[in-house]
Amino acid sequence: MKRSDHSILAPWLKLILQQQRRLWIGAALMLLTVASAIGLLAVSGWFITATALTGLLLAAGVAATLDIYVPGGAIRAFALSRTVARYLERLYNHDTVLRLLAELRTAAFARLTRLDGTRLGRLRAAEWLNRLTADIDTLDNLYLRLLAPPLVTAAGIALVAGLIMIFLPATGLIIGLGLSCLLLALTWGLARRSRAASAELSARLEQLRVTSIEQLQGLSELTAYGMLERHQVEQQRHEQLLQQRQHQVARQIACANGLATVGVQSAVVLSLIAALLAFNAGQITGPVAVMLPLAVMALGEAFALLPKAFGHWGATVAAAARLNEDTAVPEAGPAATVSVPDRPHIRLQQVSLHYPVNPHLPALQAFDLELPFGAQVGLIGPSGSGKSTVAQLLVGLLQPTAGQITVNDTDLSALAEAQWLARIGYLTQQTDLFNESVASNLLLACPQASDADLWAALHQVGLDTLVQELPRQLDTPVGETGRQFSGGEARRLALARLLLKDPAIVVLDEPFSGLDRFTADGIRQVLAAWLPGKTLLALGHDETALPTVDRIVHLSS
Amino acid sequence: MTPRRWLDRQRRLDQGAGRLAILAGLLNGLLIVVQMALIAWLVQAVILHRTELTTLLWPLLLLLPVLAGRGLTQAWQESAGHRASSHIRAAVRLRLMQRWAALGPVRLAGASPAGLASQAVEQVEALDGYYARFLPQMWVCVLIPLLILGVYVWLDWLAALFLLLSAPLIPMFMALVGMGAEKLNQQHFALVQRLAGHFVDRVRGLTTLRLFGQTREAVRQVAAAADQYRLLNLRTLRLAFLSSAVLEFFASVAIAVIAIYIGFGLLGYIDWGPAPELTLFSGLFMLLLAPEFFQPLRTLAQHYHDRAAALGAAEHLMPLLLAEDQPQAGSAETTDAALRTDDIRDPTRPAIDIADLHFGHPGRRAVLDRFSLRVQAGEFVALAGPSGSGKSTLLQLIAGFIHPDAGTITVFGDVPGRLRLAWMDQRPCIVQGSWADNLRLTSPEATAEQMRAALAHAGLAPLLAAQPDGIDSPVGEGGRGLSGGQARRLALARVFLSASPLVLLDEPTTGLDADSEAHIIQGLQALVDEGRTLIVATHHPHLLAAAQRIVTQGRATAPATGGPASDETL
Repeated sequence: MKRSDHSILAPWLKLILQQQRRLWIGAALMLLTVASAIGLLAVSGWFITATALTGLLLAAGVAATLDIYVPGGAIRAFALSRTVARYLERLYNHDTVLRLLAELRTAAFARLTRLDGTRLGRLRAAEWLNRLTADIDTLDNLYLRLLAPPLVTAAGIALVAGLIMIFLPATGLIIGLGLSCLLLALTWGLARRSRAASAELSARLEQLRVTSIEQLQGLSELTAYGMLERHQVEQQRHEQLLQQRQHQVARQIACANGLATVGVQSAVVLSLIAALLAFNAGQITGPVAVMLPLAVMALGEAFALLPKAFGHWGATVAAAARLNEDTAVPEAGPAATVSVPDRPHIRLQQVSLHYPVNPHLPALQAFDLELPFGAQVGLIGPSGSGKSTVAQLLVGLLQPTAGQITVNDTDLSALAEAQWLARIGYLTQQTDLFNESVASNLLLACPQASDADLWAALHQVGLDTLVQELPRQLDTPVGETGRQFSGGEARRLALARLLLKDPAIVVLDEPFSGLDRFTADGIRQVLAAWLPGKTLLALGHDETALPTVDRIVHLSS
Repeated sequence: MTPRRWLDRQRRLDQGAGRLAILAGLLNGLLIVVQMALIAWLVQAVILHRTELTTLLWPLLLLLPVLAGRGLTQAWQESAGHRASSHIRAAVRLRLMQRWAALGPVRLAGASPAGLASQAVEQVEALDGYYARFLPQMWVCVLIPLLILGVYVWLDWLAALFLLLSAPLIPMFMALVGMGAEKLNQQHFALVQRLAGHFVDRVRGLTTLRLFGQTREAVRQVAAAADQYRLLNLRTLRLAFLSSAVLEFFASVAIAVIAIYIGFGLLGYIDWGPAPELTLFSGLFMLLLAPEFFQPLRTLAQHYHDRAAALGAAEHLMPLLLAEDQPQAGSAETTDAALRTDDIRDPTRPAIDIADLHFGHPGRRAVLDRFSLRVQAGEFVALAGPSGSGKSTLLQLIAGFIHPDAGTITVFGDVPGRLRLAWMDQRPCIVQGSWADNLRLTSPEATAEQMRAALAHAGLAPLLAAQPDGIDSPVGEGGRGLSGGQARRLALARVFLSASPLVLLDEPTTGLDADSEAHIIQGLQALVDEGRTLIVATHHPHLLAAAQRIVTQGRATAPATGGPASDETL
C-alpha cells in the first residue's frame, strides 16, 4: 500500500468515517462473533478434558467433583451469542454500506450535473455508467472488507495471545507475534502483490464493455461491411486479457487462503506442543493444555475473510481514483444571483473558444454578435465553422476562453443560471430523447402541461396522427435515444418539446435537418406563427435551412 | 427450460476443471480428519497416559505434511474452480455475440446497447461464483460430512445420531429461505439493469436536462432509484443472512450438545448406549470434527448468493441464447467471390432484383406493399419520398438486416447479407478514438495514405490539414468534438475506403452545408465512375439531381426535380 493509495482513498474514508457510531457498533458486533467462536471451542475443549480426567478419578474410586454447570452454561451461551451476533452484524453492516452507496451514487451524479460540456464529453456514456454503478459498488469493500476485518482479526489475535500468556507467557508472545505476521502478509503483503493485476481488472472489464457497446452500436456498419467477425475476434481478445488478469488474482487469493490455513493450523500445533510440554513439566493442568490450542484454532474463521478482500485491494483503489478524477468539479465561484432582465439584450464581444481536446484548433475565434430583444437573426456558415459553439455559449453550456458575453451589460456568468435557462429554449443539433414515454419526454419541458397541451404540441409538429396510431399513444416508450422513431420524427418530437416550453429567447440549430421538404414547410409555417415577439437565433448551413429572419450573419470557417 | 437446468447444461463446457476442484476439496477434508485424529491422539497420550511428548516424535512429524497438504489442496480447489468458471464464461460470451450477429442491427435496434452489453459483461461475470465456488462446494459439502459421520459412527453412534438429526434440517431450512432469496435476486437483477438504463439515459441527455432546468429533478430521481436499490438489496440480504443464521445456529447448537454429551459421558453420568466407552481421544476427536462437519455447509451458504446471482443472470441470458434461430443469411459467410470485377461490370446482370416485396412493422401500417425494383450494376438510384415512407426500410432489406414478409430480393444474384456492402445510415456509429480508429472499424487493412484519400473524397481534407495529429486526432463518442456534418463526412469516408460494388446510403447529406454537399456528390459520382452501384435514400434536390434514376415511394409526392433523372412513382 503506497502512500498515494492512502491519499486516493482519503476522501472516501472521510465520508465513511462520518458515520462513526454505526461503524463502531458494526465492528463490535464482528468482534463479538469472533470472541464467541473462540469461547465456544476453548471452553468445550477445557470441559471435555476436565470431565475425562474427573471421570477417571471417579472410576478409580477417588472422590472428585467438577462444576459442570458454569462451563455447560458458558458453552450454550457462546453457541447462542455467536449465531445472534453474526446475524445482527451482517445485517447492520450491510445496511450501513448500502446507505453509504446510495449517498455516494447520488453525490457522484449531482457532481456530474455540474460539470460543463467540455468535461462531460471526455468520457463515453458507458464509462459514466460504470463510474456510477460498478466503481461505487467497489468502494463498499472499503469498510466492510478492508477496514473492519483486519482490525477485528487483530483484536482476536490479542485476545487469544493474551489468554495463552496467562498460562504460558513466552508461547503466548510467540503465537501472538507469529499470527500478527500472518495478518500482515494476508493484508499488506497480498494487497501489494496483487495490486497491479487487480487494479487492471476493472479497466479490462470496462474495455470489454466498450467493445461490446461498440459492436452493438455499430452493428449496421460492421454487418454491412462484413467486419463483424473481425470485431468479434477483437472482443474475444479483450476477454482473454481480462481472464488472464482474473486468473492471476484468483491464484494469488487461492495461495493466500492456503497460507492462512497453514499459518493458523501451524499456530495450533505449536501451541499444542508448548502446552503439552508444559503439562509434562507440571506447569499447567490438562484441561488448560487442551483449551489453549483450541482457542487458536477458532481464530481460523477470522483469517478466512481476509485474502479475498485484500486480493482486490488494487481494484478498490483504482475505482476510487477514477471517481476522484472524473467527478472533480472545478471550484465554483460564488453563486451567480443577478436576475435576468425583462428584455434581455445579448451581446457577444470578441468571443473565442478552444476545446481542451483540441487546443490548436479554436472552435470559435474573436466572434462578435448583437442580439437585441425581439431580434430574429440567422447565423450561416459551413459545418465546423462554430455555429453550434455560438449557441452553446449563448445558452451558458460553455464558457468562452476569451472575450465577453453580456446581457444588458451584465456578464452572462453573473446571471442566475436557472432563471436564464428558464427564459431560453435551445433545439440542439443532436436530438436527445429519454427512454421513457412520449408524454414524459414532452413533460420535461413543461411539467404541469395537460394531455390536451401535449396533443396540441404534437399536432403543431404534425406527429399527432402517428402517435394516435400507436397502441399506447402518449404512453408509448420512445426507445433508447429515440430509436423507435425515425430521425425526422424524433426531431419533430424535440421541436414539440420546445413549443411546450414557450421561452422568450429561442435558439434553433438546423431546425429542419432530417425533415423532408413537405414536413419542413409545415414546420416553417408553425414557426412563423410562433416566433414573432421572441428573440431568435437560428443556425443553418444556408438560408434555405432557416426560418424567416430579419438579419443574417455569416460565419466563415 | 428452467434457469437451473440451463446452468447445469453449461457445466459440460468446463473442460474437467470442475471435477479437479471437487477432488481437491475431498482430499482437503480427508487431511482435516487425519489432523484432528493426530491432535486428539497426542492429547490422550500425553494428558491421560502421561507419556512424555518428546517420545512421540512420529505423530508430530506426520502433522507437517498434513498441514502442508491442507494448504495445498485448499488453494488447488479454489484455482481449479476458477478455471472451470473461466471456460464456461468464455463459451457463454461467444454464444451471446453470435446471437447479436444473427439478430442483426434492425431487430436489435429496440434494445439498449448499454443493457445488452451489461448482459455480456456483468451477467456473464455473475456466473463466476456458481461454477468457481458453489458447484464444487456442493459436492464437497455432501461428501465430507458423510466422511465425518462415518468417523462418528465408528467412535460413538449416539453422537453420530445427534449430527444426523441436525444435518437434514439444515438443507431444508436453507432451501426454504433460499427460494425466497432467489426470487428477490431476480428482481434485483432486473432492477440493476433498469437502474443502469436510467443512469446512462440521464447522463447522455444531461445537456437537455439542464436546458429544461430539470437537473435537480433528475438528481432526485437518481437518489430515489439508489434508495430503492438499497431497500431491495437489504430485503435480499435479510433472507440470505437468515439462511446462514439458521445454519450457524444448528452448527453451534450441535457442537454445544456434543460437547456436553461427551463431557457427561466422560464423567460417567450416562451409563447406557456407547457413552461408557468414551475416551478423551474419541471425545476430543469428535469435538474437533464437529465444526468441520458443518464447515462445508457454512462455506456453501456463503456461496449461496453466487447461485442466486447465477440463476438471476441465467434467467436474463436464456431468452436471448435459446431463442429459435430464424433462417438468416449469415453475414459471417460473406463471400469474396461476389467481389469479382466481371460481375460488377456486367451491365446485363441486375445488381438488385426485388419482386413483389411486402414488409410491415408490428402495430403499424405496412411500410412496403407489392414493391418491385430492378437496379442494373453500375446504376445510381435515388429513393425519394417523405420521411417514414420506408426508404430506410428498403435499404435495410437490401442489406439483409431484416427479411421481407413476402416477395424476393436478390443482390448480385445472391440472397441479401452475403455481399460485403458499403453502408451509411442516418445515425452513423462514431466511436471514441481517433479518426483512423473510426475508419479502421470497417476497413482494418487501410493504410494511412488510403485513409487520407478517403477523407479528402468526403470533403474533410481542410479540416484534416488543421489537425495537429492528422488522422490520429481524437474524436469523441457519437462524434463529439466534430460538428454534425463533419461526423457525417467521417462516416462517409468509410464508404470511399470500402471496395464493395454496392453502396447503400441513407440521407448522406442531411445537415451538411452546400459546399460539403457538393463535395459529397462529387465523391459519389467518382464511385459511379468506378462502376459501383449506388442506392441512396434522400430528399435533397442536388443529390436527387445527381442520380440517374429516382424511385419515389410513399404517401406524399416529392417535388420533381429537373435534370437527366427519370422519375418513376410506385
